[in-house]
Amino acid sequence: MKFIPTASQTVGPFFSIGLAPLYQNSSTALASSENKITIHGTVYDADHLPIPDAVLEFWSADGFARVPTKDDGTFTVSVDLPFVQSTTALHFEVLIFMRGLLKPVYTRVYLGNPEATASDAILKLVPQARVATLFAASDGSPKRFVWNIVMQGENETVFFDL
Amino acid sequence: MPLILIPNSLATVNGPVFGDEMIQPGDSDLTRQHSGEPLGERIIVTGKVLDDDGHPVRGALLEIWQANAAGRYKHKNDNHAAPLDPNFSGCGRVLTDNDGRYSFVTVKPGAYPWKNHDNAWRPAHIHFSLFGAGLISRLITQMYFPGDPLLAFDPIFNSIPDESARLRLISAFDWPTTKPQHALGYRFDIILRGGNSTPMESYRP
Repeated sequence: MKFIPTASQTVGPFFSIGLAPLYQNSSTALASSENKITIHGTVYDADHLPIPDAVLEFWSADGFARVPTKDDGTFTVSVDLPFVQSTTALHFEVLIFMRGLLKPVYTRVYLGNPEATASDAILKLVPQARVATLFAASDGSPKRFVWNIVMQGENETVFFDL
Repeated sequence: MPLILIPNSLATVNGPVFGDEMIQPGDSDLTRQHSGEPLGERIIVTGKVLDDDGHPVRGALLEIWQANAAGRYKHKNDNHAAPLDPNFSGCGRVLTDNDGRYSFVTVKPGAYPWKNHDNAWRPAHIHFSLFGAGLISRLITQMYFPGDPLLAFDPIFNSIPDESARLRLISAFDWPTTKPQHALGYRFDIILRGGNSTPMESYRP
């Protein structure tokens, strides 16, 4: 017998009261610091305005990190590089919560070269013209990446369903 | 744009494991986080966290947050003209036990006004965040109280189209949980997705 899952509700505007104790700049995995990378960027709405009160969770098989966006819509997260399976390219699962959203939206951020990761089973499901929205770009340092998220409209980030 | 349906991967069915190190003494008793006790009606909220096969979800991290008894959040952006309570922060954490059971002590939150529409008031509610087995089980929701007259008018509660699903977000007053001379008991069970999911490590379209 299958039970019906409990319905989702918005995090609302005051989530930091409950979720802040788990905000972390770094993931929980016991990895050495040379394995850490930083991803930063901005979350935009349909009018390309920054969203100041979103919360992002970065998941991998080896780690977890949660960060809020600041007043200017930016976030910075430090995460451990995950173990990479042979059939997938280097990536993190990402959940985005904010007021107005009844459920989190789910996306991925890939690191590396889009051509080199063309064999990734999930990327193959994404229309070619939208693949770039899932890639973080190096910002000059080998351990720092920039990735912007667009919730709606032009250049909307690809969101997945499970 | 439509969502792109993808199969489960290792990361979607395995998530972070939060152990006892996440929980500090007092995290599950919101009435004992300060030198004095908060004002309001003391309540005990308890229930079971199950997966959709009905199996208990053990060691699940619950994070909760709420307004105080006057309907005010301890948050810089809450400017409702109701008093803050110096003895109430309104957040807590607890792990489920081996039977998937959780329990915390708090005060019943007050209703509070918001500017969604004219004379808009949120029904009393407690926010719940849960980590189950993996990404697929991640849930953030709100628990309501039985008999609240504001439920019928609340766009957030009524954003759930299915009536039976809405009603499952309303806790039940519970005599066995109620403690004489101490606190009223409410029961709220939670079902997470992801029972019996099979990880697909090497999905090939």
